[in-house]
Amino acid sequence: MSRLIQLLALLAALVLAGCATSPANVAGSGTQLEMRQIQTRQYDTLDKSMTLRSVIATLQDLGFTIDQADADLGTVTATRLHEYTMRMTVTVVERDGQRISVRANARIDEDPVTDAATYQDFFVVLDKAMFLTLHKVD
Amino acid sequence: MSGASWGRHGLKECLSLLIVVMLGGCAAKIPESALRLPESTLDVRSIQTRMLEAPSETDILAATIAVLQDMEFNIERIEKPLGVITASKVTDADSASEKFGLILLDLFFGGNNYSTAQDDQHITLTMVVLPSLSRSGEYRVRITIQRVIYDKMDRIKVLERIDDAETYQRVFDNLRRSLFIQVGEK
Repeated sequence: MSRLIQLLALLAALVLAGCATSPANVAGSGTQLEMRQIQTRQYDTLDKSMTLRSVIATLQDLGFTIDQADADLGTVTATRLHEYTMRMTVTVVERDGQRISVRANARIDEDPVTDAATYQDFFVVLDKAMFLTLHKVD
Repeated sequence: MSGASWGRHGLKECLSLLIVVMLGGCAAKIPESALRLPESTLDVRSIQTRMLEAPSETDILAATIAVLQDMEFNIERIEKPLGVITASKVTDADSASEKFGLILLDLFFGGNNYSTAQDDQHITLTMVVLPSLSRSGEYRVRITIQRVIYDKMDRIKVLERIDDAETYQRVFDNLRRSLFIQVGEK
């Protein structure tokens, strides 16, 4: 009986500690380089504007509403309200004067999306949109 | 059942509950299909998209802004090179009719009709207006609308994307009229 109570107390402490308010997580979690690799895809094009157009089309197809877009900085921010709130920021940058790099960040409610498969799903949709845009299909 | 055995039984239940809370409570929930295209993609895309003819990009953007003002939206951001216009408005939401009738009325006539309304409805609308890639003189317009309804205590009650065809059709009808006026005024 007393052992059970001890175990109960230990578990309660763990539960309380696990959910306790943590210090502001400004720097994020996970290794920087690994996350960049998961979140980034390179495209063999130099057309930043067409890439941004494809990104916007992709986000709209995925049910997002575009909050903000900046052609100069190559940034698109979007939100999807459906069962949960998902926010995405996608940046489009020219690399080495040879290709375009697209990086996507996603958060669901207050949690960052860190699994590679979810980003892979996003890039599968973007690949198709890029193909259609570069072949001038509306 | 004796007091001691009930107590032990109760403790075991408590223990199981705690374990469940511990395992489930703090876990990040990332839905598996979060960024996969749903089967309805093509239908939704055609509901939200129209090809419109206009003399210039400036004309169609001006007509778009005017129609948003007609519908009492505030323009939040415009990024002309990407054709992105973001607008929003807050209206009253009647909790008894949360679905499409309400969003239609609020979209087109504002929220003042609902004197009995109790909740706040935050509507965000984005229009993406871009020249057609295949035909000159035509513009591809895609609208997306979503809303959050807050109750009196400012708690989120409804969180949804608007997908019904009638709402979009009415916005596009208004946009066509606005474009007609815009071109006629020149």
